[in-house]
Amino acid sequence: MTSDLKLPLNARSRASIPRWRVSALLLATVLLLPATHAWSDGAPNAVQHLAVGVCATCHGARGISNLSKIPVLAGQSEAYLTAQLHAFKTQTRGDADAIGYMWGMAADLTDEQILNLSHYYATAAAPAETHASSRQTVMAQISVGHDIYTQGIVERGVPACSACHGQEAHGLGDFPRLAGQHAAYITKQLLAFQNTTRDVAVMHAVTTTLQHAEMTAVATYLQSLP
Amino acid sequence: MTATRLLPTLHAPRLIARAMSIFTALVGLLHTGVAGAVPSFARQTRMACASCHTVFPELTHFGRMFKAGGYVIDNLKQVKDVSLERKENLSLSDLPPLSLMIQVSDTQLAKPLPDTAKAAGSAQNGTVAFPQQVSIFYAGKIAPHVGAFLQLTYANDSGTIGIDNVDLRYADMRVLPNDQSLVYGVSLNNNPTVQDLWNSTPAFGFPFVSSNSALGLPYATQIDGSRGQDVAGISAYVFWKESVYAELGVYRSAKQGTAGPLDSTSAGGVLATAAPYWRVAYETNQGPHSLMLGTYGMSFQLYPDLAGCPSCNPPTTTGYGNLLGGPSDRFRDVAFDLQYQFLSEPHTASVMATHIHEAQTLNASVLAGAAQRLDNTLTTSRVTATYYYKRQMGGSLNAFSTTGTQDDLYIATTTHAPDTRGVTAELSYLPWLNTKFSLQYTAYTKYAGLKQNYDGLGRNASDNNSLYVVAWLAY
Repeated sequence: MTSDLKLPLNARSRASIPRWRVSALLLATVLLLPATHAWSDGAPNAVQHLAVGVCATCHGARGISNLSKIPVLAGQSEAYLTAQLHAFKTQTRGDADAIGYMWGMAADLTDEQILNLSHYYATAAAPAETHASSRQTVMAQISVGHDIYTQGIVERGVPACSACHGQEAHGLGDFPRLAGQHAAYITKQLLAFQNTTRDVAVMHAVTTTLQHAEMTAVATYLQSLP
Repeated sequence: MTATRLLPTLHAPRLIARAMSIFTALVGLLHTGVAGAVPSFARQTRMACASCHTVFPELTHFGRMFKAGGYVIDNLKQVKDVSLERKENLSLSDLPPLSLMIQVSDTQLAKPLPDTAKAAGSAQNGTVAFPQQVSIFYAGKIAPHVGAFLQLTYANDSGTIGIDNVDLRYADMRVLPNDQSLVYGVSLNNNPTVQDLWNSTPAFGFPFVSSNSALGLPYATQIDGSRGQDVAGISAYVFWKESVYAELGVYRSAKQGTAGPLDSTSAGGVLATAAPYWRVAYETNQGPHSLMLGTYGMSFQLYPDLAGCPSCNPPTTTGYGNLLGGPSDRFRDVAFDLQYQFLSEPHTASVMATHIHEAQTLNASVLAGAAQRLDNTLTTSRVTATYYYKRQMGGSLNAFSTTGTQDDLYIATTTHAPDTRGVTAELSYLPWLNTKFSLQYTAYTKYAGLKQNYDGLGRNASDNNSLYVVAWLAY
């Protein structure tokens, strides 16, 4: 060994501070943080825990997703939500994302959980702000969409959507709320009704002659509604 | 794993022997074992791969939350039991979360490597690895709040089955006011960053699979895979609002192949103290866009092993390390990383980048005459851009660079410099979401400090360019 090397002080004597103790203290602090935090709203109930801990990762906090392919659930019709969760669980709703994501997610839900989740999202505040853009092309789509939604396309036998979904598109009973829903999600569903991957006879009949641009127009209009 | 420590101690007097030694060490270094796509997760959650992965093994936001949550989302029937007080004390999936992974590959180098016995000869070019790797995973829920990612691997380079990446977790979640989530948990793992949620950190970073018969980086920082399966660590983490992530942990040496207490002969050296690991990240998701900015790092002191150091003063055949308790080498790794993902249909794209800076204070090595300089640095940067169409066809372009201090004793290459840079391009096709066929080309513009004749035997950096074909099946 060389003995005449000029090493700095910290090189000659190994760290005198037991660093692992500092680390352990910090670790303990992090570990204890959740246990010592004063939870201001008391113990969360089971459905809230499920909604916030699992569903929210895709559907957003309180059911307002920010991913356009994933539906907004906040303010949705309770009966509709219950029916859909049962359809996922029994694997009778067959559009692509239903198969890939929701068949699994709903597989183990109990009837009670389905009812509670449906109530949780039905009573959550629907999106307050609309996604409407002031761009001219979007405004034109909204105008066309409004006409189709409220009047249908008579010459092709497309009925007015508002007849079932309501003038304000807030839905009722088994008919889902569409106002404030992501346009991309609505368009995707309309296509799924049309090609029967989502097999709903009424909606298949409605969408049979609908063109893609018309679907997009209706969807853009609905997304703009509060 | 231990190859990064072996290199500095290989001071053979003749260039040929040196080149052969480096080759041997490099091949060992390249056993990365990166694999994070596990169909048992899909079986357990009954959700498609695309829920958690863009294209495996890259994680989506949902995949990150699944991992942070302890791998426990379980939509299978359960075998259950309760106590007399009706308190649940068993919840076991009726399907064990087991998976198998096979990788088969072929590697072609631009110029064959020298024969390991006689430099005048050449090794055969075109190396078939059948299999390159076979792994068995237990990946999924163990009990409520407790899950595992445990990988056992047979690799053709070792010819044996050994422990690979392991991440055992406990996790839970609290609902904060305004329905904000706070996920928290503890990870027990054997590879720093294997527990991380983003693919910009080393353990699950690009390349997700690479040849083990081509040459890789001659030197890597400690956090960059060098300590995989050589340590055991426990870390605690919190993930607030699925956005702000903080983690703190400590690692100790925990070697495989020996059960006894570690001492000065333990290959790869022994960590002198518990080594702190930290990670902070911020993620924001808006529509199809996901952006993460983060930093991570590790700091530790290492007692070099007694693996042999002919150039030490005095020369040793058994190594230059001191008895445990003597001087140690210190490594401080600080890294910054970024990940951007665009997830849409039919297009998915991502950008991942990391920059790792390591400050080395080589007290033990300098004292033993095995390093010339006390303070060295080693810096690695990587940027990867990936695009897939319908999650079926796509590819990645990756640029990498490592620079560092030249040290005539510590770095065994002819140039005594670690500097290496190049690019990797990969094209992949996935006929099914769990089968991937890739064509990967790596080109070096600098290798071990030089563009040309980096080994003193006429080998250029570009001679190490490699074409790699690999089939990756996970089921």
